[in-house]
Amino acid sequence: MKLNSSIAFAVLLFNFIGLNAFSQAEKNELTISIGYYNNNSQIHYLVAQAKSKIDGRFQQIPNVALSFYITNATIPNLLGKAVTNEKGEALLLIPPSAKNEWNKSAKQSFIVTSSASKQFDEATATLEITKAKIMIDTLPDKNIVATLFELMDSAWVPVKEVDLKVAIKRLGGDLNVNETPTYSTDSLGAVAAEFKREKLPGDANGYLTLIAKLDEHEIYGNITAEKLVPWGVVIKHASNFDKRTLFARRGHSPWWLELLAYSIVLAVWSILIYLIVQIKNIKKLGV
Amino acid sequence: MESIAKQKIVEDLLPQKFGKPGKIWVGILLVFCALGLFAYIRQLTKGLAVTGMRDYVSWGIYISNFVFFVAISLVGSLITAVLRLSDVHWSTPLTRIAEIIAVSAITFASIIIIVDMGRPDRFYNLFIHGRLQSPIIWDVVVITTYFFVSILLLYFPLMPDLAILLKFKEKTGAGLHKLYTFLGSFWKNTNAQIHINEKAVNILSITIIPVAFSIHTVTSWLFATTYRPGWDSTNFGAYFISGAFLVGAGGVIVAMYIFRKAYQLENYITDSHFDKMGKILVLLALLYLYFNVNEFLVPAFKMKKSEEDHLLGLFTGEFAPVFWFAITTAMIIPILILVFKKGRRPLPAFIAGILVVIGSWFKRYLIVTPTLLHPFLPMHDVPASYRHYIPTWEEWSIALGSLAGAMLIITLFARIFPIIPIQETITETEQNETK
Repeated sequence: MKLNSSIAFAVLLFNFIGLNAFSQAEKNELTISIGYYNNNSQIHYLVAQAKSKIDGRFQQIPNVALSFYITNATIPNLLGKAVTNEKGEALLLIPPSAKNEWNKSAKQSFIVTSSASKQFDEATATLEITKAKIMIDTLPDKNIVATLFELMDSAWVPVKEVDLKVAIKRLGGDLNVNETPTYSTDSLGAVAAEFKREKLPGDANGYLTLIAKLDEHEIYGNITAEKLVPWGVVIKHASNFDKRTLFARRGHSPWWLELLAYSIVLAVWSILIYLIVQIKNIKKLGV
Repeated sequence: MESIAKQKIVEDLLPQKFGKPGKIWVGILLVFCALGLFAYIRQLTKGLAVTGMRDYVSWGIYISNFVFFVAISLVGSLITAVLRLSDVHWSTPLTRIAEIIAVSAITFASIIIIVDMGRPDRFYNLFIHGRLQSPIIWDVVVITTYFFVSILLLYFPLMPDLAILLKFKEKTGAGLHKLYTFLGSFWKNTNAQIHINEKAVNILSITIIPVAFSIHTVTSWLFATTYRPGWDSTNFGAYFISGAFLVGAGGVIVAMYIFRKAYQLENYITDSHFDKMGKILVLLALLYLYFNVNEFLVPAFKMKKSEEDHLLGLFTGEFAPVFWFAITTAMIIPILILVFKKGRRPLPAFIAGILVVIGSWFKRYLIVTPTLLHPFLPMHDVPASYRHYIPTWEEWSIALGSLAGAMLIITLFARIFPIIPIQETITETEQNETK
């Protein structure tokens, strides 16, 4: 009896150890990366991406709960929480409550953490950025000037030798203003680009949105500046809704079709009615 | 003309009571009609789910039948109008056969299109919400017009015959006599009446040709105005009309043979009629073959990726047996039979006519269904039954019932009215004698 109990206990113990070891071996390492975005000095937000190497290749991990912090990973500095989507990305707008912490320094660090789960151990990522902004303006003859500044102590100073993209914002992406997509800032932190996209459709008033961008910069992050300019062609949307077309609703067919169809019907049925009258005439003659 | 000869013509061509074979034939047709009606009641109560039609194949054998009926109805314009206007007189004994085929076919074309509707009680919506831009509306208008034109073309030449029939009350019976009185008691065979009648028939003969062309062209546009493999063709109007004339002429030859045998009309529907109709059928079969070559060879030569499955399905795939059967029976074999003089004798011509009619029905099936099974966007996540179309017994019963119904109209018409125009035959015989 004692022997049996001992064997049963040993089997259970081995099973527990084996399963535990197996479950630990299943866990993959979670990698988190952070991006900082400043859109036109109006919206500041962070995008964290969760990845893991599974079956020999990196895969985006959805449904990972992430905590976003400013300066350090303490509860008072918690910016908010977000869960990664099907692309493994989680976006968090930096809330106004972080203003005091944000204003303390010219440089800023962000921390994103994830708790340990069944699949992954806990993970942490840190991003440090230097606050920067882009100013965009126009000169006569459709020239564009964009200037990059960084915050140094409490003053904005121009930044040289950084590649800026100057483009026109379109629905599907950015369109270069001329053949050159990017320009390197000079000693004044400025780039100049000539607008060569004549006859480009603008909005209803002919406005185009110019955009100057810094993409995934290791010091400044992602920064954009926008400006509306009346350099486009005025587009008046001509709606065919409720007009007389072949695809319109009942009673709104094109005039030519109505004329043609009704003329044919009228002509043929006039003949038929005439013939019915002839039957009456034949009848009369027979009476 | 001697009155004895005239009397013989009248006696030969008067409608005859059904003998035993006639009664059996009507009985068989009534059984098929009843079966079709029963199946349709099931369809009405249970919905279109009793058919094999699903999301992709939403037009099955009902629409094939519809196209077939519209096609065969065109024969009225071919025999009556085209040949009359061409001053061809040998076709006179065939005009009424052609016209009654046209009327019965167009009647059942209208019926079968309503049968294809899941909710026929909503048919009135077509008139309330129908759009003039839609070929479906054009089809409704043109079918209605063609029906009335065909009825008038049947009625005007019938008037003199009705007056003749009224003289034979004892033979025809009191019931039919009342009908003849209602329809034709006013006919006195005066010059004025004859003049109006001839003028009306001439006007109708001219009118029916564009209407007939419209009816089948518009039917072809029901397909060709949609963007689908096999239907996206500018050739469709001419292709449909040539096929319609072929099946119509085939149908007339079949009817000629049966009426000639059943009513002993050898003196009126002669071997010469079969010979001439045989020649017309060869011409029409060659014409339709030519359009088929255009319709299939050119796309096959290009073999666009999006149309490949549809074309290969017809040439070598699941529809190949039906496709080659239709091409062979509707065109190639009839041409081979009728191109020889011996083949244009009544029996071989009758066999060729039957082959044309059967092959043409399957040809309509091939126009409708394979295209629906090969949409440009591939089928995804659909039940297996959506990928194939197998008509159910209800569909077959309704389709066969409608075909039986069309034949029943022709049969009953031949029982009530002279199937060969009596007065016209007398007049033409008199004219031939004076020559």
